[in-house]
Amino acid sequence: MMIKNELEGARATLSLQGRFDFHSHRDFRSAYEKMYENNAVRELEIDFKQVDYLDSSALGMLLLLKEKSESSGRNVTLSGLQGTVKQVLDIANFGKLFHIKG
Amino acid sequence: MSEALPLKILVVDDTLTNIKQVQAVARSLGHEVVTAADGLEAVDRYRSAAPDLIIMDIMMPRMDGIEAARRIRSFASAKWVPIVFFSALDRMEDVLHGLESGGDDYLVKPASLPMLRAKISSYARLLHLQQQVLLSNEELSAWRAEVEEQNRLGEHVMRRLTDLAGLRDPTLKHFNLPADTFSGDLLCAARSPGGVLYVMLADASGHGLAAALTAMPLTQTFNSMTMKGFPIGSIAQEINRKLKSLLPPDRFVAVSLVAIDVRGQTVEGWNGGNPDVLFITAAGQVSRRWVSRHPPLGILPDAQFSAQTETFVLQEPGQLLLCSDGLIEAESPEEDRLGMDGVGEILSLAAPDLRMEALLKGMHAHVRGRRRHDDISCMLVEVPVERRREVRVADSAQQALSGPVSDWRMTISYGPQELRGTDVVPSLLGVLAHVQALKPHQGALFLILSELYNNALDHGLLGLDSATKAQAGGFELYLQQRGERLANLREGRVDLAFHVHEADGLGVLDMEVTDSGPGFDHRNLVFADADDEDGLRPHGRGIALVRSLCREVTYSGNGNEVRARFAV
Repeated sequence: MMIKNELEGARATLSLQGRFDFHSHRDFRSAYEKMYENNAVRELEIDFKQVDYLDSSALGMLLLLKEKSESSGRNVTLSGLQGTVKQVLDIANFGKLFHIKG
Repeated sequence: MSEALPLKILVVDDTLTNIKQVQAVARSLGHEVVTAADGLEAVDRYRSAAPDLIIMDIMMPRMDGIEAARRIRSFASAKWVPIVFFSALDRMEDVLHGLESGGDDYLVKPASLPMLRAKISSYARLLHLQQQVLLSNEELSAWRAEVEEQNRLGEHVMRRLTDLAGLRDPTLKHFNLPADTFSGDLLCAARSPGGVLYVMLADASGHGLAAALTAMPLTQTFNSMTMKGFPIGSIAQEINRKLKSLLPPDRFVAVSLVAIDVRGQTVEGWNGGNPDVLFITAAGQVSRRWVSRHPPLGILPDAQFSAQTETFVLQEPGQLLLCSDGLIEAESPEEDRLGMDGVGEILSLAAPDLRMEALLKGMHAHVRGRRRHDDISCMLVEVPVERRREVRVADSAQQALSGPVSDWRMTISYGPQELRGTDVVPSLLGVLAHVQALKPHQGALFLILSELYNNALDHGLLGLDSATKAQAGGFELYLQQRGERLANLREGRVDLAFHVHEADGLGVLDMEVTDSGPGFDHRNLVFADADDEDGLRPHGRGIALVRSLCREVTYSGNGNEVRARFAV
């Protein structure tokens, strides 16, 4: 999986591309940890527009991100959900755990 | 470059000056040297000193270097010991002959000191690398053995967990195809004391031992709470609480739980993270689905957890299908998923009693040998509509106690808060189970208590009307009203009294249930029951059931007091 990051003031975006599965563990974690090193970052958006696959370990990684964000008082938004990615997140009712945009 | 380790070098030559030269170079590099004066001695020294490297002359008395190399090579060894021929023979044939007979390298005499030094250092580096490879190989195979051992343990535990007597229920068919050596999917079934069939399909994130560890608390909670008659929402909540406290934040379990109450003609479902649970009619129509309304278990803190279930009143017989996402995500070689629609289609085309086989076949026909990414599990449950008022009591075959029963009493009173937050009947049953005389009667007591208590709460305190249930969609409305009124209940009590004693030479349990509500015309209710001979209407059957199980049932007061006598 490729991860592109953008930073605009307090708002950071990680745009994911490809398969989000257990191989992405280290990349994904280091991507958001790097963003969170910057104390100015208060909002993190995870953009799934270009993700074509998501497995249950990816859901686990999102839960870790949620915990990390809550403990430092930051907000996480999931955006660009479509196709099977949206289906998987819907079945897991992640809308009850995260802000969903779009 | 890695630091070379000191080597033990076997130097073989019949000329002492040559030995001295090599020895001096080797020692200056920090290596240890052992020596031999001919081939025969070299073979002996090889065996006794176990050198790392051999530097050997070819032409020597008694045995030449070529023969010594052959013999040394004939000993089996896991370790590679390079042999460098160091000889004055400098023709191409000599060099080739030396290499072909087991030598690794050839150095022509006389060699300069820098050349000797470079050769020895280069072998020291190579041997160091070899040693590292050997070490990592050893580590790897030890690690592998450990993983295999863990897998064996996981598999054993998982097999025990999944081999539950409940799954042998004649109304059930199931399959569980692991992606890994063993599955992270878990199927469970058990009957409540009232004879209600509870089924659960759990899909733990990950595979192998990790999944098995996650699944362990599930079966035990499911079984013990089902046996005590707790509702499925409470079971889901308890499992969630357990998993939340045990698991790291990125681990969770998708669970669908269904209670099939044939006597009450209802099916109640709770789905957190699994694909839709389907109800399929005999004609093959999906007439009802339980969509995942909750996150999987182990994620939400208890305070945010919702035990909200959805109940459906049976109108016709059919089958219930529970499956893991491995089934709907099963991919064809073209990467098309089978999907919920694909599953529905396979089921609708098959005769009811062949649906499980059809599903398995249809799935294989779809994936056409493509490797599974995920465990696939499925459970199909027959759901009959019973027109007779058959009472199935899940009591043990244990005989009632002979001899006199000892006197035992308990009174208990519930106010609004406890009525809202407690599963009253299972909790009471847990206490009654400690009384010797009542032990063999858990099933009957569960049914009787459920009826008496629910009447007191629903009709007495909450003022619900049973007739609501008879209308189309009435049962759902009834449950909704019940939930709302219970949430808003500010005052009122339900009192229960139990007394085990002897009456007319017979051991009996007297039960009294009193509610603080306005009461009702109990004579009317009794008549309504007698009218309901067909037993098709879900309401009103309860008191008839209590009557059939008890020796005596009497109402008093305004109808807000009921007394039942049960023979133990």
